[in-house]
Amino acid sequence: MTTIEKPVPVVNPWAKPFWDAANKEKLVFQHCKGCDKNIFYPRIACPECFSDDLEWIEASGKGRVYTYTVVESNAPSAFVGDMPYVIAIVKLEEGVQFLSNIVGCDPHSVVCEMPVEVVFERLNDAFTLPKFTPMQG
Amino acid sequence: MGKNAKRAAFIGIGEVPTGRFPETAAIYHAIESAKLAIRDAGIDKDEIDYVMPTASLYSPAFNTELVTCRIVEELGLKNVNKNCQVFAGGSSSSCALQLASSLIETGKAKTVLFVHADRLGTGVTAQGGIDLFSTAGISAEWEVPFGQHYSAIAALATNRYKFETGCTDEELSAVCVSNRKWARLNPNAFFNKKDITIEEVMASKMLSTPLRAKQSNMLFDGGGAFVLTSAERAPDLCPRPVYILGEGGTVTHFVYSQEPDVSRFGWAKAGKKAFEEAGLTPKDMDVAEIYDSYPIYQMIGLEELGFCERGEAGKLFVSGDTWPGGRLPCTTNGGMLSQGHTGAGGAVALLIEAVRQLMGKAGDRQVRDARFAVETATGGTYMDAQVTVLGTEIP
Ligand SMILES: [Zn+2]
Repeated sequence: MTTIEKPVPVVNPWAKPFWDAANKEKLVFQHCKGCDKNIFYPRIACPECFSDDLEWIEASGKGRVYTYTVVESNAPSAFVGDMPYVIAIVKLEEGVQFLSNIVGCDPHSVVCEMPVEVVFERLNDAFTLPKFTPMQG
Repeated sequence: MGKNAKRAAFIGIGEVPTGRFPETAAIYHAIESAKLAIRDAGIDKDEIDYVMPTASLYSPAFNTELVTCRIVEELGLKNVNKNCQVFAGGSSSSCALQLASSLIETGKAKTVLFVHADRLGTGVTAQGGIDLFSTAGISAEWEVPFGQHYSAIAALATNRYKFETGCTDEELSAVCVSNRKWARLNPNAFFNKKDITIEEVMASKMLSTPLRAKQSNMLFDGGGAFVLTSAERAPDLCPRPVYILGEGGTVTHFVYSQEPDVSRFGWAKAGKKAFEEAGLTPKDMDVAEIYDSYPIYQMIGLEELGFCERGEAGKLFVSGDTWPGGRLPCTTNGGMLSQGHTGAGGAVALLIEAVRQLMGKAGDRQVRDARFAVETATGGTYMDAQVTVLGTEIP
């Protein structure tokens, strides 16, 4: 059986700092100096106040599971070998939210509002994906 | 006439059975549906002056034919001045309806033919379908790399909804039971041969927890069409025209994981606008054709539109309130869960069913004396909430 390569993120130029930071095992997001809002995913202008005055800041990496699912069948071709795997929407302490996988635990132990922290998984030479694992302690 | 002057009305509907038809050309589903709709309207085909096909997903080449006027030529429509595709994923029917009625209301078009056809049952392989629906409308930068897929998307909403409301897997499964009961009475439904039980649904294969195979829509071939004209002309052409009374929409996200509330979405705001515009309330509705690609969306839809309290929709599906003969007939064609999902056609079928019920043409599943109906649609990864209120009279 041939393995199908994992899809890599199709990167928008203005999001490149996010992926460059991930490669250095740092989780970053944008912050608007105009209205003080945190922004994810990266935008060309603040989605709240439309300011161009955006900066990158490093996330604490801590958050909670807003919702989750354990994929047990009918995965996309490249993920068939990973089943069962957990897809979750994680809300960071800083208020931004995004999709990731919960790793390093029994997939069926994940629940809503579970505290999690970021870990980094190297996808290939070019990409590292931020994933999450249950917070220790 | 006063109130009618500024409205559009349905005068004809057409639909082909939903299923697997490997021997049939995709264009058949489009032109047969269109032919049925034109004949149902009882008009001369050459009265159609505007053709509005929506998109087909299974083949870019076939879709290009829809864009480049094939329907007009196949049917020999002689007085069409525009063939213009309107596509908004699962919301295509709602968006097309609003645009078409605006064209009619402003006199830019007299008689609009809307057509949908797709071939997702035989035009793509099973894994091809999974792969299509793990990329189409899913962010290639922020979600595809994590193994996102439409079943998982529905499961993410379901788990949060269960967490917030205490809804049970039995209640979620009861949505499938209810829709199947309606499909049994629908000759165009794929799953119309036998009932299904909560136990059978809960014994089916787990897809993405807590979502099981029989709680998932299935992709099929199919087509549907409708004809609209002005409310002023409609009564002369059609014994029981169906008027567009109210419409509301809310766009909430592109990237699913950016949705602020995956157990509510934008239904409450969209529903409020649609009912206000119609001057009606959920209590006035005789039929609710609620979008049901997965059970969770049909439950959230009913609740957010105001048919019941949050967390209570499950009870309506268990008790039989939503079944044939119940007090709140819901998704009466069997929906995507039991008639079958045809891409943009899932909500086309619901819209056609709403009109069919109001025209009194729903056969064995006719809801007696149905005067008002609400229909919902959503596209992409539930990126928007579209609500349409229809009626046989203008209140
Ligand atoms: Zn700002």
